[in-house]
Amino acid sequence: MKNKKNIYDYIIIFILVLISLVMLYPFWHEMMYSFSDPVDAATGGMFLLPRGFNLKSYWSVLRNKSVWTGFRVSVIVTLTGTVAGVMLSAMLAYPLSKKRMPGRNVLISLIFFTMLFGGGMIPNYLLAKKLKLIDSYGALILPGLLSAWNIFIMKNAFAGIPASLEESARIDGANDLTIFFHIVLPLSKAVLATIALFTAVGYWNDYFSTILYIVSKDRWSLQAVLREILSNAQSAMSASGISVRAEEAISSETVKAATVMVATVPILLVYPFVQKYFIKGVMIGSVKG
Amino acid sequence: MGNHRTKGQKNIWAKLWKYRYLYLLAFPGMLYFIIFRYVPMYGVVIAFQDFRISKGIWGSEWVGLEQFHKLFTGLSFPSVFRNTVIISLYKLILGFPAPIILALLLNEVKNQRFKKVTQTIVYLPHFISWVILAGLIAMFLHPDSGLINELVKLFNDGKGIDFLVSKKYFRSILVITDIYKGIGWGSIVYIAAISAIDPTVYEAAMVDGANRFKQMWYITLPELKSTIVVMFILNMGGILNAGFEQILLLYNARVYDVADVIDTYVYRNGIMSSNYSMSTAAGLFKSVISMGLIIITNKIAHMLEEDGLW
Repeated sequence: MKNKKNIYDYIIIFILVLISLVMLYPFWHEMMYSFSDPVDAATGGMFLLPRGFNLKSYWSVLRNKSVWTGFRVSVIVTLTGTVAGVMLSAMLAYPLSKKRMPGRNVLISLIFFTMLFGGGMIPNYLLAKKLKLIDSYGALILPGLLSAWNIFIMKNAFAGIPASLEESARIDGANDLTIFFHIVLPLSKAVLATIALFTAVGYWNDYFSTILYIVSKDRWSLQAVLREILSNAQSAMSASGISVRAEEAISSETVKAATVMVATVPILLVYPFVQKYFIKGVMIGSVKG
Repeated sequence: MGNHRTKGQKNIWAKLWKYRYLYLLAFPGMLYFIIFRYVPMYGVVIAFQDFRISKGIWGSEWVGLEQFHKLFTGLSFPSVFRNTVIISLYKLILGFPAPIILALLLNEVKNQRFKKVTQTIVYLPHFISWVILAGLIAMFLHPDSGLINELVKLFNDGKGIDFLVSKKYFRSILVITDIYKGIGWGSIVYIAAISAIDPTVYEAAMVDGANRFKQMWYITLPELKSTIVVMFILNMGGILNAGFEQILLLYNARVYDVADVIDTYVYRNGIMSSNYSMSTAAGLFKSVISMGLIIITNKIAHMLEEDGLW
């Protein structure tokens, strides 16, 4: 009786399978398109399998120099930003997890307030200008380096570490710095990995910072480069209502599909390995403290 | 007396000295928050100036509320504000319950493998940037070769619809694609909360003859209440963002009437046209309302005897 599936189980499974298909199909469709022959794809009516299988579109994406410079910029920005961001967040979150530290509440309130109110786009832009960050890697890294939310998740995780571990180290003569670097950090790998993942995804997918702060094309992030490839033909056609000659338009469609795939595959490859961390991390963060 | 005070002061210094390494650790992070969060907050004063970049904040002329007056009596801002509210409300009404429903559905699945695979799939779009998704959406909705239009053509005498330049469809596209990207990720926090529910509660309910729907309605949902409340408050704070990057990447001049929101307006007027003071006023207007919404919803949560956000 207990393990027998009734009609409701089947309905729920059906709905979830449907949702999963809707989630995945766009990516499948792109993949099939990207492998298709540009002219063949023009005739439309492809739903499941590529037509005239070939790799021409990938060639034209990978031959594009700005894809590679964008890739390089994004790797540099993501690595630097993630390492620095996680380190600084942890360093700030640890003292905040110590209830007896004088001034703790003032610091927490100062950070919390940034969740409620912010200067907004223009003052941020003017600040970057004043600090001479415009058109530099700094502009891509610094404005998004720390977030109140991440710091509070870490603070909650640190607060959950048994005090006895730190106390016994203190008796052995360790100071707060030693305790932080040698005991607290090694015990907090799950939350560090989670915040690293959140930060890295933020940097990797960041498009607007480039638009806002960067002028020179050799410092464009990957997303900005992708945007240029993806929007060129489309915006020109859609906005003016002109239909470009079918052949050019369609060949650019398969190139766009290949672009989408080139940008998505790295994420698909890393994603299953980090999944267990972020579920754990959200759980840690959801414990209020 | 005097003796007492010096003793007290000594204690404070001794205490601060005792925690010196913790302050040292916190220092760079706090400095960051001062420079990159609090300085821009001070920067909003240019909303009350006629800011000239050559004169700077200290040298520009103060004009009181003139920028706000220009904003509200101008042609575009009232409709921008209306768009922001409408798009946000649609997203809230349809997008907020979606992850909760998904989490409840997933909770009913007994096969752990199936559950895991489904979760992996639904979280995925969260990790894909709006740039890529906007490209995907544009291709799907392409008037000639897009997949959706292949279907539309069957019912529309072979003619496709250019959805992305259509005022009629644009907001729906925003809401649907927003749910597509966010539903799975949004469900994680609820799944985590559900997994924390004591299983004996369900066992007791089963003994009392509660069926699965009743268990969901009378146990799972009430247990999720405080999580729902916190997520709702956070949502209210971000409500006037209306999904800036998504809109920036999908909209075009033909749908400004229905799609231009405060942030896109600030971007075009402030950054692209260097109209700094007036667009800062628009941004400040948004931030103040957002803060008000968070505070009010938090207060309501307290009145309903929930913990709220603080």
